[in-house]
Amino acid sequence: MSSLSVSHTTLAMDLVPNPVLELKNISKIYQGRTVVDNLSLQIGAGEVFGLVGPNGAGKTTLMKIIAGLSQPCSGRLTIFNRDGLAERAQLKPLIGWVPQDNNLERELTVREALALYARLFAARPFQPRVQQIMTEFNLESIGERRIELLSGGMARRVLIARAILPEPKLLLLDEPTVGLDPDVRQDIWQLIRSLAAQGKTIFMTTHYMDEAEQLCDRLALLKAGSLLMTGTPAAMKSMAEGKPHSAVTLEAAFLRLIRRGAE
Amino acid sequence: MMGWFVVYYRELILMKKKMGKLGYVFSSVMFPVIYLFAFSWGLGSRLEISGGYIPYLAKGILGITVMLNAFQQTSLSVSVGRMYFKTLQTLILSPIPLIQVAGGLVLAGATRGLLLGGVVYGIAWLIFAVPGLNGAALCGVILAAFFFAALGLVVGLWVAEPDDLSLVNNFLITPMIFFGGSFFPEQHFPVFVRELIAILPLSLVNSLLRLPVWEEAALLKAAGLLVFSCLMLWLGARKLALYSE
Repeated sequence: MSSLSVSHTTLAMDLVPNPVLELKNISKIYQGRTVVDNLSLQIGAGEVFGLVGPNGAGKTTLMKIIAGLSQPCSGRLTIFNRDGLAERAQLKPLIGWVPQDNNLERELTVREALALYARLFAARPFQPRVQQIMTEFNLESIGERRIELLSGGMARRVLIARAILPEPKLLLLDEPTVGLDPDVRQDIWQLIRSLAAQGKTIFMTTHYMDEAEQLCDRLALLKAGSLLMTGTPAAMKSMAEGKPHSAVTLEAAFLRLIRRGAE
Repeated sequence: MMGWFVVYYRELILMKKKMGKLGYVFSSVMFPVIYLFAFSWGLGSRLEISGGYIPYLAKGILGITVMLNAFQQTSLSVSVGRMYFKTLQTLILSPIPLIQVAGGLVLAGATRGLLLGGVVYGIAWLIFAVPGLNGAALCGVILAAFFFAALGLVVGLWVAEPDDLSLVNNFLITPMIFFGGSFFPEQHFPVFVRELIAILPLSLVNSLLRLPVWEEAALLKAAGLLVFSCLMLWLGARKLALYSE
């Protein structure tokens, strides 16, 4: 078997010195189906890490396990050197969660929603922090608009702003640009880049290979709950083609690896 | 700001937004008000009850209003927030201890029950000149609000789909409305039915609501409701701690 081949046995988890997030043999079985299968992964401080894979690969479930919204059936989760399951209460202020769907309270205005979350997440001092975030995220013009009236792009912007309010160190983004037009996607990418530049560790899922290539330092390829590979986008392309400098697009590499992983 | 208060504050803001919609208040008080008029006019002159049937009925309807609004507001808002809008995720992920999250949600449901109960009893007072509430009745109505809001929290976290809510409504809430002594005294019911319904929470509330004076038996009933409420609150916090999507 070639060292570049993709298989469950050769596959390798990149080891990171002083990881801020470490998953060890995490499994989740939901309604009799294995959604995450014995998965191990390490993410370093300040990394932008992307989780890619086809629909139903277990990306969102894995994200929810890290966020604390889903309990794994087995395995160990370590976040900032703390037990991610037993010490969840201490970890909550350090993790920001941006879900795929808009889960903001629809009846509230943007300003009311952010003020409420600032209180819920004890982001002090409340009002100055809300004002700062609204300015930073360019939300002032829509401050009095009700959440239910926001466009998809604006709602996503507010969701990210909300997650940033308590100044988390680890930001979890589940499909941050799904369903958005190219212009708004660029806008969200810029936002993610600026958060990464502030030193935040970002763990995101995406279906878009251009997004993964543009934003992520490293990627993990997931299929049917199993990890197929981890590496930089360039490494993923090399692995797909079996040579060091590959000219294929990340999307083509993704498809090859997924199909090869199925063989 | 205390964690439970932030959750309570959140619920009150959302409630205030909804209260602004006319249909929300009307749909919440319409059902009890219809019963108040229908039973007053239909049975008022036929039932011999010490103190009069209409004051008896008004207190029964007060209990029902508090129960329905505290239970339904909490169970619906929690279940919809959990299953559809995913707004519950925010509370689960917030650093507020989950017992305080549960406490805030229950307190908000209880507030709504008490507010709308007050509106309905106010209507009865204005139209039928029913008397005010004594200490035992106030205690009963407050405990009813807490118990049914806490029950709503547990049910809201337990149901797998909205149909399950109607299951609880049909098999627990509706029988309590008709057998719990809200509309008429249960003295003509078969003995075994009376013994069974005596321990229903709404029956305990109704007996507290109608006590002329505070007595030892009332203390027992109030303590029973308080224990039930604390148990439900604890169960709710436990369900929140075991939350998993």
